Amino acid sequence: MWEHRCKVAVSGVGFSKVTRSAEIPLAAHALEAVKGAVADSGLAMSDIDGLATYPELPATGHAMVDGITIVSVNCMMAMLKLPNLAWHVQVETVNIGGAVQQAANALLAGVCKYAVVWRAMHNPKGTYQNLPGTHAAGATQFTAPYGFGGPGQGMAVAYTRWLERHNQSREKMATLAITQRRHTQMNPRAYFYGQPLTREDYLGSRMVAYPFCLYDCDIPVQGAVAIVLTTADRARDLKPRPAYIAGYGQRLAFEVAGRIGSLSSYMEGGRSSSSLTWERSGFSPKDVDVAQIYDGFSASVIYGLESYGFCKEGEALDFIQDGRMELDGELPLNTFGGSLGTGRIHGLWHIIEGALQASGRAGERQVKDVNVSFVGASAPIVQGTTFIFVREPY
Amino acid sequence: MLARMSDWSKVTRPIPVPNELSRPFWDAARQKVLALQRCQACKHFQHPPYATCVRCMGIDLKFEPVSGKGAIYAYTIMYHAGDKRFAAAIPYASIIVELDDAPGALLAGNLLEAPYTEAKVGRRVEVIFEPLNDDITLPQFRLARGA
Repeated sequence: MWEHRCKVAVSGVGFSKVTRSAEIPLAAHALEAVKGAVADSGLAMSDIDGLATYPELPATGHAMVDGITIVSVNCMMAMLKLPNLAWHVQVETVNIGGAVQQAANALLAGVCKYAVVWRAMHNPKGTYQNLPGTHAAGATQFTAPYGFGGPGQGMAVAYTRWLERHNQSREKMATLAITQRRHTQMNPRAYFYGQPLTREDYLGSRMVAYPFCLYDCDIPVQGAVAIVLTTADRARDLKPRPAYIAGYGQRLAFEVAGRIGSLSSYMEGGRSSSSLTWERSGFSPKDVDVAQIYDGFSASVIYGLESYGFCKEGEALDFIQDGRMELDGELPLNTFGGSLGTGRIHGLWHIIEGALQASGRAGERQVKDVNVSFVGASAPIVQGTTFIFVREPY
Repeated sequence: MLARMSDWSKVTRPIPVPNELSRPFWDAARQKVLALQRCQACKHFQHPPYATCVRCMGIDLKFEPVSGKGAIYAYTIMYHAGDKRFAAAIPYASIIVELDDAPGALLAGNLLEAPYTEAKVGRRVEVIFEPLNDDITLPQFRLARGA
């Protein structure tokens, strides 16, 4: 087990308004989320001395304009003018979960006391994907000429392999979509709050990239979320009950850029990002009381459940049936609605929900008697990170 | 219902831009030869091309012709054009092919000369070539004929 387990905790969490596309600068969303997280902790902004984010812009082909389409650490520094700032980082290889892990490391090293991590997601007005145009350079030279036009299609190919190799049917995924949408109705901040979804809606929906229909894809939105992390000792003196980080892991395998469709890449990514989380925390999948697994596209949950070890390969679509992923089921899953419910905010909202469930602060959607709360914070293929939060330090 | 053929006639494909690593691949394709990067030390084929052999860290890599026969590893049927210039072909099959000669090297393509509904994991395919201009010819796939 990890000697640093339960020595860092998530304290406050914050959210901006989520809109379908950009109406105000993204920086304003990020600021609202960061202020919210600091206030939730009962801290003053001047207490914050660490900053971390992953500022990538997933809408391809749009310019990176700081404060408008991304919100970098520099942008946040310029806005906040923190008098006691001592440490900051911007991560690249493992999405927002990597920023959270780096902040935890900085707290453990004693180089900052209260770190804020945010994820701000831009959805431009007009076309989301601004594809390569007349020429395809770099990794896209082997994919774009064949009409591979975005991450959804890239993920869809691995999903057909999974379905046909395991003799499974995509109709079973309706359970995931409608259960998560039901959870969404207990999360007023989510984009699809107030909009239920039926099995018939799912089965009758238009195809986007077979086997993905519309409801297998998260909707691009504009918004931001944020958390405050601090050491366990300090967290206990703050307003919210802490969610202790019992262990974490990150994807430790990478295949060549531009290689798409490889199901084994998802499985290897997920196994490598979870094995050290289990080892560090001392827990195993059967100990988990509630799980948030990244669902930018529905099949990510399938790869996650299998590669993290919650069920055997080929069984995930059966695993989620019969109420197992409901709030009172064997493994309550994506209890905040997931990205399919909140809109595309990447994995920080999964981390927030994992922390809220561990600290008993999930309100109407709180799962009973949670101690061990698992998070798979992004798609395991390229950017996977995993976490375990606990209510009781051990 | 009649089997649907995708209409590629109105599609303008993005033109691949060869770089230091990929130029031999495109040079061979222009000659209607499918050639993949192969490690001269461990004989491993890899695609997309990379700076080193991802199996043995070898740096002596050369492009060698492969037969162009293989099986569909995975596929998707596109119903939504991420790239609007593909809208006229919708729905169409984009496939990932694993070649007999190069296990583990995955090539993207479209399934041509067949209804898109013929795309299935494991189905046998063979390479064909689609010239885009004088410089660039695209390797593509159709269902395998004969043995």
